[in-house]
Amino acid sequence: MAPPLFLQTIEETGFSTWLRESESPFAFYFILLLHTFGLALLVGANLVVDLRLLGVARAIPLAPLKRLFSLMWIGFAVNAVTGVLLVIAYPTKSLTNIDFYAKLTLIGFAVWVMQRLKTRVFEDSSLSEESMIAKGMSLAKWSLVLWFGAITAGRLLAYTYKYLIYP
Amino acid sequence: MNFAHLHLLLNHFPIIGTLVGVGLFLISLFGENEDLRRASLIIFAAMALLAIPTFFSGVGAEGAIKKLPGISEDLIERHHGSAILALFFMEISGALALVALWQSHGIARPEGWNWILSGVLLFSILTVGLMARVGTTGGDIRHPEITAGSDAATEGSGVSKIVRRFEPSPGKFAELMTASKWWWAFMMDLHFVGLVLLIGTVGILDLRMLGFAKQFPISPLHHLMPWAMVGFGINLLTGVLAFMGMDQYYTYDWAFWFKMLAIMLLGLNVAAFYLTGAFESVERLGPGEDAPPLAKFLAASSLFLWIAVITLGRYIQPFNDTISVHK
Repeated sequence: MAPPLFLQTIEETGFSTWLRESESPFAFYFILLLHTFGLALLVGANLVVDLRLLGVARAIPLAPLKRLFSLMWIGFAVNAVTGVLLVIAYPTKSLTNIDFYAKLTLIGFAVWVMQRLKTRVFEDSSLSEESMIAKGMSLAKWSLVLWFGAITAGRLLAYTYKYLIYP
Repeated sequence: MNFAHLHLLLNHFPIIGTLVGVGLFLISLFGENEDLRRASLIIFAAMALLAIPTFFSGVGAEGAIKKLPGISEDLIERHHGSAILALFFMEISGALALVALWQSHGIARPEGWNWILSGVLLFSILTVGLMARVGTTGGDIRHPEITAGSDAATEGSGVSKIVRRFEPSPGKFAELMTASKWWWAFMMDLHFVGLVLLIGTVGILDLRMLGFAKQFPISPLHHLMPWAMVGFGINLLTGVLAFMGMDQYYTYDWAFWFKMLAIMLLGLNVAAFYLTGAFESVERLGPGEDAPPLAKFLAASSLFLWIAVITLGRYIQPFNDTISVHK
């Protein structure tokens, strides 16, 4: 089955071509770099919350970690925007790769777990630390697994694609 | 400055530095001197860090001389193999030294002895021996005045014959790393996991020192540092293995070398943080309290350098082949 024609249409636009082929340091590699920063922010911050809920560095007070969620959303926003740009640069490569859809699915679940963590554990400021941990422990474990999966799926994109550009 | 020059400059550190470290470590044992012990552990960690660009620069050094008359590719291979083995032991010594430093930090008179320190003693002595062999095999490449007339040039003594069995063949090692694209993908994947571990933990500590999120007391955030070290360790391992798989690719790339420079500077930054008293000045800071200027500066430089490391790492690919081979 040949890839859908609209992929080629996107690829042939001036913008997509510029992103892909430009010699400018602000083209593809820069967007990829911003994508890395976004993920470092999103997953890094989430990781600290997860580790704390699982008992690491118990001296860190749990409640103030709520502030980290705004950092996570900034990271997510950066990655959503840069992600779209990366797909515009290589639409065939990403959209015909099943690994890409696996990545999006895992990210979807991971972000859902992230929101659940926020509302279940951090929203009620009257909760004691023990109850916060009891409510969040299982979500924290899932969060770690899902983010590891998302990073892996993302990293494997470079090795699993069938078409670099429209054949 | 070319790669041969760089290699000849750097190689002094892992060979002589480790010897000095072992000497100080032994003296500290007999003299029961904690400060000296701590100093020797710092030396081991520093030499382990410097061994990395030393090892990497060897590839460029080989490129610079291998076409010259009278240079034996076999001797270069032998030296390269001995370096891989020595690097392995050097990094383990450095890692154990860092664990020992962590265990004793903040404690004026650390507890007597434990397994970690035994490990440091064992591995550092083995490293000194292996590094001596690396130095000798290196000298054999281009110092005819020490090999002249000696049949031992390729044979060596009994001990070196035993050691030779453990020295990997660099070519086979490279093939092993690149044989499967899934293995390569796995290594790169772990490299990202390590990156996230590192930035999440170090980033939060640095940002707190710079004055963000002052509700957090600093000491508990500092307890996350072992995770940062785990992240760094994962990346060091995957990075070195990746280099060994594609050494020409990384050697002739400006982004790669600037990334190494940034990592060395980070080593200095960490040393400065603990040795200048900056750590003591922030350790007891509670919620709402501001860090002193030196700690803020070191936190800012740490953040800047890690961002530089990520950026340069990402730009290795497009900067491929930016250093001319004849350097």
